[in-house]
Amino acid sequence: MVTGAVASSSAYLRDPDVQLMLRVREEDQGAFTQLVAKYQDRMIAVFANMFRDNALAEDLAQEVFLRVYRARHGYEPTAKFSTWLFQIANNLASNSRRTKGRKKEVQFTVNSSGSQPVPAGEQMLPDKSALMPTRQADVEELRERVMEALETLNERQRLAILLHKFEDMGYAEIADVMELTPQAVKSLLARARDQLRIVLEHYVT
Amino acid sequence: MAKLTRLSQDDRENLAAYLDGELDENGTRRIESLLTVSEVARNDVDVLARTYDMLELLPRPKVTADFTERTLVTARQKEHRQPITEQAWFRAAQRGALLAGWGIVILVTATAGYLLSNRAIPREEDLLLQQLPVIQNMDVYLETGNIEFLRDLAAQKPLLEELERSHPR
Repeated sequence: MVTGAVASSSAYLRDPDVQLMLRVREEDQGAFTQLVAKYQDRMIAVFANMFRDNALAEDLAQEVFLRVYRARHGYEPTAKFSTWLFQIANNLASNSRRTKGRKKEVQFTVNSSGSQPVPAGEQMLPDKSALMPTRQADVEELRERVMEALETLNERQRLAILLHKFEDMGYAEIADVMELTPQAVKSLLARARDQLRIVLEHYVT
Repeated sequence: MAKLTRLSQDDRENLAAYLDGELDENGTRRIESLLTVSEVARNDVDVLARTYDMLELLPRPKVTADFTERTLVTARQKEHRQPITEQAWFRAAQRGALLAGWGIVILVTATAGYLLSNRAIPREEDLLLQQLPVIQNMDVYLETGNIEFLRDLAAQKPLLEELERSHPR
């Protein structure tokens, strides 16, 4: 058992960021600066797209790094550094959501023509007659549609998508970050992508 | 007919996983067969891929210029304001106190064990000391040669006292 733990721990020692973190544990300030510099933009990008609030994204990203710094004395490499970092980010995002009542699941509302509920994202679909002008919309407009489409996902789906798309994480690593099984991540991502397809397919050129 | 059949939820999940390269060999083969026969699946996989590619348009904001510096300064400041229980010296002292505590427990237990065993389990010398009066009078007892007589004699306390008075040792 102990041998297994040591073996799995040593597997992560090849991760250069784990090496940096081990130096942070030994009070190497330069190593911490390197880690912050390496991950800060990536962290902000994920938070900013989670909450559509750049100031909040910076606050949360900073808090993630502060937690890393505070945890340095007890740090043991039991995962890739990025996995551990985004686990902290995930916990922080969950707490932030709970504290600020930010939780926003996919909202179902009654459409104007009847009592059938439709996913909120579908309400954004343009009329058939408006498709041509929409297709000609410039990149900024399209970006706005994509951001709105992302907002139609619940926060777990959104985080899974962002980790997959921005961080190139596989299902197993996302599962580690979000404390889910890889099978659950597979379902979560499939549903998220399906929802994005519903909302965005009219903009596909 | 199969080529226009709606896909099951399982198939849809597998289509997405196929695009992500997350299916095993069997799953990949199954999806590739499905794509060969199902127009719906082919269309779905195409739209899924293209809508997913649109996420490239999502903004990737950069941190403000002083973010790194602010973070480092805040980390150091918070270190100074860190609760005493989270400071390194406190944790070291805590570990030391714990070890000392265990040391004391072991010492007390060992002492108690030693004393207990010393008193509760009689040693050979203790037995000899306890039986000293018998040993001292062994010659008399052997000379008498009758244990019943000695017991009867022991029961005659006034007689023994009288003998003690008249023949002091």
